[in-house]
Amino acid sequence: MNIFKSPKFSAFKAKAKEVYIKQKRELIKNKNIVVQLVKRGIKLQYRNSAIGVLWTILNPLLNMFVMYLVFGTIFKYNDDSTYLLYLLCGNIIFNTMRAATTQSLPILVYNRGLLTKNKISYNVFPLSCNLSAIVNFLFSFIALLAVMLFVSIKTPVFGPAIFMTILMLPALFLFNYGMSLILSALYVFFRDVMHFYNVFLTLWMYLTPIFYKLQNLGESWKVLVIRVVMKLNPMAHFVEYFRDIVYRIKLGTVAEASVYSGLGTLYLWGIAFALLGTAIFELTKKNFIFSI
Amino acid sequence: MEEIKEASLPIEDNIPSEEPIIELNKVAMEYYMQTEKIDNMKEFFIRLVKGKIKKMKKRILEEITFSVRKGESIGIIGHNGAGKSTILKLITGIIKPTAGTVKVHGSVAPLLNLGAGFDYEATARENIFLNGAIIGYTQKEIKSKFASIVEFAELENYVDVPLKNFSSGMVARLGFAIAIDVEPDILLVDEILSVGDENFRQKCSQKIEELQKRGVTFIIVSHNMSQVKKLCQRAIWIENGKIVEAGDSKEICDKYQEYSKNKQ
Repeated sequence: MNIFKSPKFSAFKAKAKEVYIKQKRELIKNKNIVVQLVKRGIKLQYRNSAIGVLWTILNPLLNMFVMYLVFGTIFKYNDDSTYLLYLLCGNIIFNTMRAATTQSLPILVYNRGLLTKNKISYNVFPLSCNLSAIVNFLFSFIALLAVMLFVSIKTPVFGPAIFMTILMLPALFLFNYGMSLILSALYVFFRDVMHFYNVFLTLWMYLTPIFYKLQNLGESWKVLVIRVVMKLNPMAHFVEYFRDIVYRIKLGTVAEASVYSGLGTLYLWGIAFALLGTAIFELTKKNFIFSI
Repeated sequence: MEEIKEASLPIEDNIPSEEPIIELNKVAMEYYMQTEKIDNMKEFFIRLVKGKIKKMKKRILEEITFSVRKGESIGIIGHNGAGKSTILKLITGIIKPTAGTVKVHGSVAPLLNLGAGFDYEATARENIFLNGAIIGYTQKEIKSKFASIVEFAELENYVDVPLKNFSSGMVARLGFAIAIDVEPDILLVDEILSVGDENFRQKCSQKIEELQKRGVTFIIVSHNMSQVKKLCQRAIWIENGKIVEAGDSKEICDKYQEYSKNKQ
């Protein structure tokens, strides 16, 4: 018997369609809330600071200089004129993920006042955190362009591949959103997720090639293990891909064909996590109200 | 167990006043409550291993059946923990009943209690926009209502002040002003009328009466019997999750007061 025609499958299909329509309706209905929350988030982030939103541009630059000071001059990882860009690309991508997920993690509990008194879809909160993170990413992009100009004095790095960022962003967004859904749902039931995740983020940062380069690690068996871990670390893929399109293609150190296959890998990670996150969130959300 | 139906979305059609706008049919609400709240993993796993996660079934509402006609005002009275706020939450759609059905034909403004949807770090202006969006208005609509909200709340000089610097009376005024200005079909009022100064309370009562004349349906939860008698035609007395009696508000309020007196 064809399983696609069995009543169980059609029931499943109907259920899936129902969930989809519901999700869509809720999203449209809550669009205005998300817009307000994103605005509020960005405004509140820099309230009472002298230079305000400029921090979103300055922050990645300062981070880059600190890393350059430590790893470029003291540890001498600095092996070519593009090391500044290497650091900045890694930082921007990893920090976008970090900001999106750490803000989303406690967001349902922080907004319990709103959630227990009004009928709002729960996912507008992680969604708004993730959109704010993407907006911040765009601000950081200005910093990136400035550093690219600076590096171009010695080595020209501007190439058309940088426009691929537009195609890459949705994948990063999906991945972050999926992670955020999982973390915010878990946090409702287990408050120690936050402490655990902070430690995990440190480990994750060290297992992502942000300041060191994989090819400089040598070939011992430990490094082979690290290479396997890198394959399984989605952030490593995102960070390396971003470097490829921002400057490495122009330098000719990566083949152009890898840009397309690389994008596929990113979307696989993004979609997988978005689906997993949505599944966990949808299955647990009916109990949120009793635990937040 | 009966099929649980979702509260229907706001509809635009005009409903004749004889038609019920809210219908609760044999609604029961219960949830599992852990005997002690466990919110860290260590505890959870230790107890899981020991098999000690006791779940207590807590029944909040039982066999609640009533309907409200369009334009009617109903008071819900009863002692603390009787289940009054749970009924309001069911009508808003925040929670779904364990059994029975809740049908709502119209838009509901959540005015469950004070500063329900406020962010105290944000200013009054930002809160008006956020709350408006939560109730379901577009930015444009809120902009057109902004001035009248601020005026009613008497907060013209505090529009750009963060809410954390407001007095509780000011927060209450802002909450009330937003909720009444969105002109919903159904307004839920939970103990909000007992705050603010005498002046503002009177202003609120007047505004409620004005909205009643315009056909807005009210559900008022209050411990203030004279208020219920004044504002509501009917009252429902709830005790331990069950309806004790429902009927004319004066009659029910008097019986409730009698009962409370005897209990002491």
